[in-house]
Amino acid sequence: MLNVALAKGRLADSCADIFIRCGIRAQILKEETRKLVLETPDKKFRFFFVKPADVPTYVEYGIADVGVAGKDTLLEAGADLYEMLDLGFEKCKLCVAGAPEMRAMLKKPRLRVATKYVETAKKLYYSRGEDVEIIPLHGSIELAPLTGLSDVIFDIVQSGGTLRANGLEVLEEVFDISARLVANKVRLKTKAEEILPLIAEMKKYVGEGR
Amino acid sequence: MAYFKLPAGVRDVLPEECMALEGAEEVLRLKFRGEGFLPVRTAGLEYYDTFAGIRSAVEQSQMFKMTDRDGKLIVLRPDMTLAAARIAATKLGSERAKLYYFSNIYDFSAGGNSEREVAQAGVEIFGEEGAASDACAVAFAAECLKAVGVEDFIIDIGHVGFYKGLLEGSGLSEEAAEEIRGYINAKDAVNTEIALKAHGASAKAQAAILALPSLFGGAQVLSEAEKLTDNPLALSSLSHLKKVYAQLKERGAEKYVSFDLGTVKSLAYYSGMVFTGLAAGAGAPVLSGGRYDGLCAQFGKNLAAVGFAIGLSRALGAVKKGGKAQC
Repeated sequence: MLNVALAKGRLADSCADIFIRCGIRAQILKEETRKLVLETPDKKFRFFFVKPADVPTYVEYGIADVGVAGKDTLLEAGADLYEMLDLGFEKCKLCVAGAPEMRAMLKKPRLRVATKYVETAKKLYYSRGEDVEIIPLHGSIELAPLTGLSDVIFDIVQSGGTLRANGLEVLEEVFDISARLVANKVRLKTKAEEILPLIAEMKKYVGEGR
Repeated sequence: MAYFKLPAGVRDVLPEECMALEGAEEVLRLKFRGEGFLPVRTAGLEYYDTFAGIRSAVEQSQMFKMTDRDGKLIVLRPDMTLAAARIAATKLGSERAKLYYFSNIYDFSAGGNSEREVAQAGVEIFGEEGAASDACAVAFAAECLKAVGVEDFIIDIGHVGFYKGLLEGSGLSEEAAEEIRGYINAKDAVNTEIALKAHGASAKAQAAILALPSLFGGAQVLSEAEKLTDNPLALSSLSHLKKVYAQLKERGAEKYVSFDLGTVKSLAYYSGMVFTGLAAGAGAPVLSGGRYDGLCAQFGKNLAAVGFAIGLSRALGAVKKGGKAQC
């Protein structure tokens, strides 16, 4: 049986569609339930519903053999995993955003950056040799520059609607994000006969993504 | 009373587990001695410069550092292979040596899925080169895992020479090659492609390097890989692995073996074949090894070398869970 870690919500729904098209009896994923562990009727797959940020952890420890997580989550977790497939959905960008007049001030010393992607932001600015103050937040990141908590934000942008509504705009696009299929480094080899056919099958249905 | 507790990442081993560990050590000691290996205990403290001065796989951030009385920087032993290589090159005065050890190594940066104090059992063979010696090391690694009771496992084999060969004439800088090596190790085809394009690798190298993440499986991947390149180093690496596989077949050990040319361990340390022991009951490797022919020369004596180390706690964890690991 293959153990699959999924983030509950939109991501799980998109995954369920792909799984069903791949011939997996994953209709159970579409049902309204409060259960955290679901098995397909043929007992070939077991799904765990976890918080998005916990998908890399379940897969790295080998509790789940494979999982689906956004690239932003993977960047932030820095877990030791195999990234097997770009699933091409849940596309967005990790961006630096702020008020339009900040565009000229991005290189100012000790720039204050509010983000929930603390590790990724640290790595980014460290690699550029820029000295910034990272301000960790958990939500409503756009509020930070409006209230003067930060100069800019580093966050995922999908449509840009929230930014526009608050008078902010994208100042720099840094990373392209989409959902990725990840695998535990040991299980890919020791459960190859289960994992590889799944990947091959899924590849057929993510044509335009990659 | 807070100081009766332990720092993060280390633990006490209590009698029940300690008995199991000692049992495994006894089994392995007999095996090592039976194959003619001799024991060493290396110093627990070493100079920082030993590991920082030579091209080694140990990162600064991985070492526990202290200042000695004379102001020199010393570290808690971060790696056994380097210590054994230092001994073989500077103290044994022989062209051949087979050493084994049971030692803890210390990793400052570890945490989460890995511990900062790791009990290792390992062997190093100095002064032997060629496919026969490599096959011998892999077959012995499989025997050792079986001996401690790990049943469902494979030894996954790669070769750093294949990636090195693809880099030749690719136009990639050492820095870019190192960045891309990280992506390949994560089988991250997306970033591999982006980085190859950004660093302006030649079209031929791009196609071959992009194939690396998917070059794993049975011995047939070696033939698949041959079609990707005409670089002499890459091709000789593949033919070497074919020879190793043929030797393993003769020993009846091929059923424990798979190949992954996308496992590119540190180029600064390993020189040829590399291998990793993967057990069904453990989420992380239980054994790691490879050939490191250039390392002893950096300690002043040129000795060919191959070896491996077993992570004892992880291996025993895989034994315990062996029965229900596939749940």
